[in-house]
Amino acid sequence: MKLHRRAVLLSVTALMTSASLLTAGAAQTAGDPIRKIVLATAAQAADPQEFQAAQLIAQEWRKLGLEVEVRGFPRPQLSDLVWYNRQKWDTTMWRMVGRPERSDPDELVYNLFHSSTAEKGFNFVGYVNKDYDAIAEQQRRETDPEKRKVIVAKAQTMVAQDAPYLFLVHPKNTVGYLASVIKPASVVDQGGIGIRNFWTFVGAEPAGTVKDIIANSTEALNSINPLYISGSPDNWITELVWDRLMRIGPDGLPKPYAAKSINWVDPTTLDVTLREGMKWHDGKPVTAVDVIFSFQSTMGDESPMYKPFSSNIASMEKTGADTIRFKLKEPNASFLISTIAKINLIPKHVWEPVIQGLASKPENAESYQESQPIGSGPFKVARFKLNEEIVLERNADHWQAPKMDRFILRVIPNNEAGLGMLRRGELNFLSDYRGDPKLLTDLSNQQKDIQVASTVDLGLRYVGHNLRRAPFDDQAFRQALSTVVNRNLIAAAAWNGFAVPASSMISPALPFWHQGTPPRANLDEAKAILKKAGYELVGNKLHYPAGKKETLQPE
Amino acid sequence: MRSVAIRFGQMLLVLWAVATLLFFMFRLMPGDPTLAYIDTTFTAEQQEALKRQFGLDRSILEQYLIYFGNILRGEFGTSFRVKRPVFEVIFDVLPNTLALTVVSITIAYLFGILAGAWLAWKRGSVAEAVGIPIVLTLRAAPEFWLGMVLLAIFAFGLGWFPSGGANSAGMTFNSTFDRLTSPDFLHHLVLPAATLALYLQGLPLLLMRSNMLDVLHEDYVMMARMKGLPEWRILLLHAARNALLPVVTAFALGLGASVGGNVVVETVFSWPGLGRVLVDAVASSDYPLAQGAFMFIAFILIVMNFVADLLYSVLDPRVSHG
Amino acid sequence: MRALRLPSGDPLAIIGVTIYVVFFAVALFADLLAKDPLEILFLDDGNLAANLGPSAAYPLGTTNLGRDIYSQLVIGTRSALVVGLTAAIAVVALGTLAGLLSGYFGGLADQILMRLADIALGIPFLPFVIVLAAFLGARTENVVLAIAVLLWPNTARVIRSQVLTLRERGFVEAARVSGASDWRIIRVHVAPNILPLSLLYGSIAIGWAILTEASVSFLGFGPSGSVSWGAMLQDAYASQALSRGSYNWFVPPGVCIVLVVVAGFFISRGYEEVLFPKLKD
Repeated sequence: MKLHRRAVLLSVTALMTSASLLTAGAAQTAGDPIRKIVLATAAQAADPQEFQAAQLIAQEWRKLGLEVEVRGFPRPQLSDLVWYNRQKWDTTMWRMVGRPERSDPDELVYNLFHSSTAEKGFNFVGYVNKDYDAIAEQQRRETDPEKRKVIVAKAQTMVAQDAPYLFLVHPKNTVGYLASVIKPASVVDQGGIGIRNFWTFVGAEPAGTVKDIIANSTEALNSINPLYISGSPDNWITELVWDRLMRIGPDGLPKPYAAKSINWVDPTTLDVTLREGMKWHDGKPVTAVDVIFSFQSTMGDESPMYKPFSSNIASMEKTGADTIRFKLKEPNASFLISTIAKINLIPKHVWEPVIQGLASKPENAESYQESQPIGSGPFKVARFKLNEEIVLERNADHWQAPKMDRFILRVIPNNEAGLGMLRRGELNFLSDYRGDPKLLTDLSNQQKDIQVASTVDLGLRYVGHNLRRAPFDDQAFRQALSTVVNRNLIAAAAWNGFAVPASSMISPALPFWHQGTPPRANLDEAKAILKKAGYELVGNKLHYPAGKKETLQPE
Repeated sequence: MRSVAIRFGQMLLVLWAVATLLFFMFRLMPGDPTLAYIDTTFTAEQQEALKRQFGLDRSILEQYLIYFGNILRGEFGTSFRVKRPVFEVIFDVLPNTLALTVVSITIAYLFGILAGAWLAWKRGSVAEAVGIPIVLTLRAAPEFWLGMVLLAIFAFGLGWFPSGGANSAGMTFNSTFDRLTSPDFLHHLVLPAATLALYLQGLPLLLMRSNMLDVLHEDYVMMARMKGLPEWRILLLHAARNALLPVVTAFALGLGASVGGNVVVETVFSWPGLGRVLVDAVASSDYPLAQGAFMFIAFILIVMNFVADLLYSVLDPRVSHG
Repeated sequence: MRALRLPSGDPLAIIGVTIYVVFFAVALFADLLAKDPLEILFLDDGNLAANLGPSAAYPLGTTNLGRDIYSQLVIGTRSALVVGLTAAIAVVALGTLAGLLSGYFGGLADQILMRLADIALGIPFLPFVIVLAAFLGARTENVVLAIAVLLWPNTARVIRSQVLTLRERGFVEAARVSGASDWRIIRVHVAPNILPLSLLYGSIAIGWAILTEASVSFLGFGPSGSVSWGAMLQDAYASQALSRGSYNWFVPPGVCIVLVVVAGFFISRGYEEVLFPKLKD
């Protein structure tokens, strides 16, 4: 009996050895099989579209002979993994949201891919390329838009070639409003932002007797604080309450606002002249001293979120009653958008005592909430409950006083509820809608009063590969992963058609800067790229090029 | 009196234990709170500054002592995200949660007590054969699903009630009391309160019924019957009064549990309440707010457990604490 | 063991058992009855098969992301029963053990266990499960763990008081006088008499566990990519099935939850009649 069993064992071993010899023979030129790849994504409950896209991508990658697991995480856990455990993940779904200041390409070109941010900053994929660094720095210094455009195009081409990101789609932002309340002609479509913007809210004209804009946010506000960048809906409020020297216009370019004029004396010297007669909401005049104070407040440690935006200011000087001269440390093409049009003007008489009081405390100005915020913008704060609603009243003294009496922002976490409220007129501007855009367009077909606008966003959805880990360290491998993905299918099947395929970090919503065309899905070409780079299919499994060992375990 | 003191001591022990558990539980949280701020402009120095600001650079023991000192002083810190004192955030939404809880549980218990007494009276009848399965089925339905069905029918379908929130846009009120008693608020309250009441009525109903069945066999009820008193008088004056006692205890327990348990109903109806605050805080890694909201919910629960205990011993003299 | 027999006279209990049998069968043969519930379905023209109404191919229609609702419902039976049963077993095992020890030995063991029970009852149930699921990762085991940690005291308290009365009974007294060990007394004389009570609490715990898992999934803290009734309802709610009027999507999972949970209630009520025959006259 014992003998018998041993005989069986022996023959099995023999079979196995010969089998492994066989495969080894076939794969003589190939390296180790590639381990199971984990594609991290937000959990289905947190972001159904992203999760769906991840599954579609995984389906395509499997066609290349890869074993792919889609793993969903709650957002905080996903951020923790990607941001603080940079050695531990393979590839991840990620997103950039559209913001007005991203109308300048600098942030996207520099912060996302410059090697200086690879260790701890936003370059979490670990893209390190000296040539790219040089280009990113060069575009930042170039103040001539046409010349800069060429450099920015070069940066986009280089990223498309090296493929540290797999660009997926630019989602369309879909919002709706009631034409019976707001005259459609007075609604402004801002490039890459859509109709939910400062210009619409200030310029909206009443179509009937209702003189309140009632908009919504799906998340509670964090604060109403001009020295704190705390979230998108917070920003809708702060930009209405506090003026800025310049504002980003509907065309995406900065235009003078609280400043009457802006003059470059030389690439590091900027002269600003203030508009006359502006008043704070408490009636005191807006002065050049207030302006200098506002910028200074963001330069110290009291406003860490704003600090990077004013770090290029070398000095400011009051040169006349209404004039200020900014000196820059170095020329910077995005200075107007990312600094002058970004920093809120705040009254010195309100904030100086506050900031002095905070100097000796561990907290900074970000944690300070005024009970009655004072700005100089077209709307004043009437009252607010950050998790329920914010009520703003028109500032009749403003030089661009709103046509509507009030702007009310309601916190409605639930998309269903938001939709229902628009239908019943409890909302008249559905400004934050994260549900299925098709439901909103269906609704507007039923109810003619509801106007819907869908805009390609400045935002971006992509797959970030971890370039620290093989096989993602190989440009050819990344290129193949990109070539096999059908972006049109993903836009249709995950975003319900409310997205356009992406090919660059800069959205086609910025036609001046945007460059590149989305690749068409091509399985054969992807396979050819892999073959050329030495990857080999053994059975159905993709192996590394010859001599390359798999050194990692699936996490 | 001594037994009350002992129970009180035990309650304090439970409070301490839950607070300690909470502290260590929150140290399991993935990553750190700076996650909520990740952005293209986020720098390593900012990250360190944030951690220092929230005391996360100190040792666990130090953090624990600070935490406890703060709890004793009623100080729950400042929310990471909202940058406001945690207590303020909680007290903002507390009236909404209390209104929803108290209204729904009161309706549920009033109905449950009456229907339970009636079903006990009708024991063996068709009403019982139909009633009990219905009650059990309502008890078995997930609250949020019940809410979804009510929403689909009465808000989206018929349009009778608003689909979410506690107040309409732009309403102003002089006081919280004015707001809570306004027709607008009550209109918003109907569906969520009905959902909760449908779910909560099962317990008092079944409890009342089985107590009544016990009591109906007691001598004094028999006596009353023999005296020829009308049935409804027997039911109300003799049986119900005695059967009610355990239900009162259950009411106290239910009230305590409901404050935290409402979270799913608050979610379905976008009701700005304590449960929502907790869930949002957990989802956005806002330690102090999540911790504070949890502690607050636990505090109400523990105190109500204590009250229920006391009620039980007061109402039922046979129970002694030893 | 007499009390273990099913209360065959009670129609509700029979209904309950029938429901369980049907769902067990469905869970067992789920692979034969359903297709891959997460497969993304496409129409012949290459478009996503989204929001389809019920048809022969998809008996309950499809979700807004093109998944077969019927298959999700069938496969979801498994996770419901797995969560329900494991949690119920854990709750009953912990609770019975604690109740036995506490009631039989009394003294310090009793003190410690009952204070632990107080603490567990002082922890808000759903918030605790949410926090645990969020911190330890959204896995089914964590939900079961949280349920077991918090729900054992209810069973323990009832078992304890039952043991207290049993301890004073003649046959236990007699066994003790005849020199039987504590362990033997518990095993032979006490445990069999409390088993029906444990099972009663077990059948209720199944329902609680399923409801809890559904609530946690509904709030978005459930395991990602898993198929359960709670997750289906979360998906339907978040995908606006309500305003689409997709009753075919959000009604069936709710009905299934109700059926399984109420089956436990029906059965436990049957046992109640067996255990408290005085209600029976």
